Amino acid sequence: MRKLVSLVLTAAFAVSSCWALAGCSGKPAETTAATTTKAGETTAQESQKPGESKAATASIKVGAIYINSQNDTAGYTFAHHKGITEGMKQVGLDPSKDLYIVDNVPEDDEKVKQAIDQLAGDGCDIIFGISFGYINAMEEKAAEYPDIIFSHATGYKSNDKNFNNYFGRIYQARYLSGIAAGYKSLALKNNNIGYVSAWGTEYAETCSGINAFAMGARSVNPDAKIHVYEISTWGDQEKERQAAQVLIDTYKCCVIGQHCDSAQPQIVANEKGVFGCGYNSDMTKEAPKAHLTAAVWNWSAYYATAMKAAMTDKGSFMQSVGNYYQGLSAGLVDISELSGNCEPETAEAIKLAKDLMISGKWDVFSGVKLVFSGAAGSVAVEQKNDALKDNTGAEKVAAGGASVGDDVIQGSMNYYVDGVTQVN
Amino acid sequence: MKKYHLVRRPVQSIRRLLVYYLIGIVISLGIGAVLLASLGINPFEYYGRMLTIGMVGNKYAYKNFEGFLKVLVPLLITSLALGLSFKMRFWNIGGEGEFLIGAISAAIVAFNVTGLPRPVTIILMCVAAMLSSGLLGVAVAFFKVKFNTNETLVTLMLNYIMLYVITYLGKTKEDWNFFLDPKSARPIFGKFPETAIMDGVKIGNFNLLWSVIVAAVLVALIYVYLKYTKHGYEIAVVGDSAATAKYAGMKVGRIIMRTMFISSALIGLAAGLTASASGTISETITNNVGWTGVVVAWLGKLSTPAIAITSVLIAILQFGCKTAATKYPSIDSNFADLLQGIILFAVLTADFAATFTLKKKEDAKNA
Repeated sequence: MRKLVSLVLTAAFAVSSCWALAGCSGKPAETTAATTTKAGETTAQESQKPGESKAATASIKVGAIYINSQNDTAGYTFAHHKGITEGMKQVGLDPSKDLYIVDNVPEDDEKVKQAIDQLAGDGCDIIFGISFGYINAMEEKAAEYPDIIFSHATGYKSNDKNFNNYFGRIYQARYLSGIAAGYKSLALKNNNIGYVSAWGTEYAETCSGINAFAMGARSVNPDAKIHVYEISTWGDQEKERQAAQVLIDTYKCCVIGQHCDSAQPQIVANEKGVFGCGYNSDMTKEAPKAHLTAAVWNWSAYYATAMKAAMTDKGSFMQSVGNYYQGLSAGLVDISELSGNCEPETAEAIKLAKDLMISGKWDVFSGVKLVFSGAAGSVAVEQKNDALKDNTGAEKVAAGGASVGDDVIQGSMNYYVDGVTQVN
Repeated sequence: MKKYHLVRRPVQSIRRLLVYYLIGIVISLGIGAVLLASLGINPFEYYGRMLTIGMVGNKYAYKNFEGFLKVLVPLLITSLALGLSFKMRFWNIGGEGEFLIGAISAAIVAFNVTGLPRPVTIILMCVAAMLSSGLLGVAVAFFKVKFNTNETLVTLMLNYIMLYVITYLGKTKEDWNFFLDPKSARPIFGKFPETAIMDGVKIGNFNLLWSVIVAAVLVALIYVYLKYTKHGYEIAVVGDSAATAKYAGMKVGRIIMRTMFISSALIGLAAGLTASASGTISETITNNVGWTGVVVAWLGKLSTPAIAITSVLIAILQFGCKTAATKYPSIDSNFADLLQGIILFAVLTADFAATFTLKKKEDAKNA
């Protein structure tokens, strides 16, 4: 018996020492390799620097708090992580050593505060929190650490020294994808357009997206009806699938828009021989025969701006950046490349609308509507004074009136516009 | 292999146990080191940061220690409380549910009782938490005693019921729902009024929360309760054999209900303290102590001092793994969880190997 035990023990020791050795022998090689690449990068950056403006000289440490993991391959956290790392490279920071991440942080004040303490202790100069529920913890910690900049996505709180919020006018991109959907419905002579949405009017983010998509579609096809199916979760592939099936089978929809995490609604559209507009990434590869174009984010536009400002002068961050709600004009939002499934007029009409929004001459939720007409090659846009009404007929903006304020982004829009009905 | 079978070792030696633990930890850290090295991370640097819970080279090291204590206190109290019921062979795996109902009750007091001094408010919160959790525990014990229901299943299911209750409260934007922040358009749990948020003893910058002191006192009290009181003796007898206890004239049903009340009420206390220290509640407020506590209680062999030490070590592991991962953008907290899992698994295997031994079948027959 003792022999057996001693045998097992010896084996265990032998194995563990082998591992330890493997760990040691593996490590120096890795480290040296890492150092050389790092050194290489640093020299590359330094050689770049003189070419760029000399303004940004201070190196900073960037902290990030994620709701999911930075190793995700799609979805919300993925998009932000991509934006942060790309933004860092743009301003000459090295994500492999200047970026500190606390990931999988739930919307729980205590856990967010601990994450912030950790990042502050590691010497971060600017901390990004990407989920709405981080709002109160970030506000509190911004007061506690006055020399760190706190930047919060999708929130509505800020202070005048070191705490801002940022979000994008994704509704502008949704309007453009709505135009593509509108042309499709005209061509198919089917006025039913579907929309699989995480939430309905409870969240301004989803609500404004639905409305903009509807208005884009109706700028081309005034008779279009947008049927919204709410799945009551930000992402659930099975529910997204079922919702798209219901919209196609029961409501006879010919185009499926979406505000949810996966490409399932597009895949269902592909299977059923109808069309669709995706979200977050170009979903043409998932639904090659169905996908028209997707509303997409390019978060690096904001992250580069914010980091550059923090590198130049942290103290004036709220003056140089402030609360940030950019859209098409800053390149923060856009649509993916139009696929071959789009109707011929689509590209021209989208260009016209996009130019109007980029120049600031027109915005979606105003008392002026765009009306497109003409065949491919001669598409024209007319700006028509027309009140913005909700789907009960109540007037929200008078005909010719100015666009609603930033509260679309900050969270107050809670109605559907004319032409939208929620089916569940 | 057929010739061998597992036999419990006749003599439990602490030294053997510790040696086995050490071997298990070395092996698991070795596996972790290989994984880290393959990701281009220096394992020694990572482990250094992990074992010092990220305090070395930290601008606000005391904050990490505060954060660590906030992880430790609920785990420690919950593990001790679960240990109480396990000692009686009552399989209370409902720590999560008992914690959640306690946190909800504490929040009800926090949001509705205003204008009282801070210590009074916090004591009221803790009392509410202890009562609600304790009653939940008594209910389970009552069904066990009266109808011989399976307490493992009942407590397990109650965990999910409570989880969905708090999720419902956190997601339902209605006028009656005082749990939510009234100023937010989106549903989000509100912050407690100032008088419901725990303070502590300032030692320089470091803030020693009262909950830490309460937890330390509790360790001593539970030790004395189990070791030197009649109640403690009764629990041990019921755990060894309910029939013996009955024969000795003990009211077994009453002992089970009483102990279950104390056990769940302690978990409620942990919840009340945690809610007050956080200044709010959330779906994730338990930090999984109801589950981790089961592991801690067993690793600590249901002995009060051993549970206390084990929970400190597990808290270091939990907090340290997460903290270490922060510095390396290529690894996320899933890796930290993986590493924790490997280490725990190795320790449990070592525990198993130290408790049992392989014996030849013939020997057993002869014996």
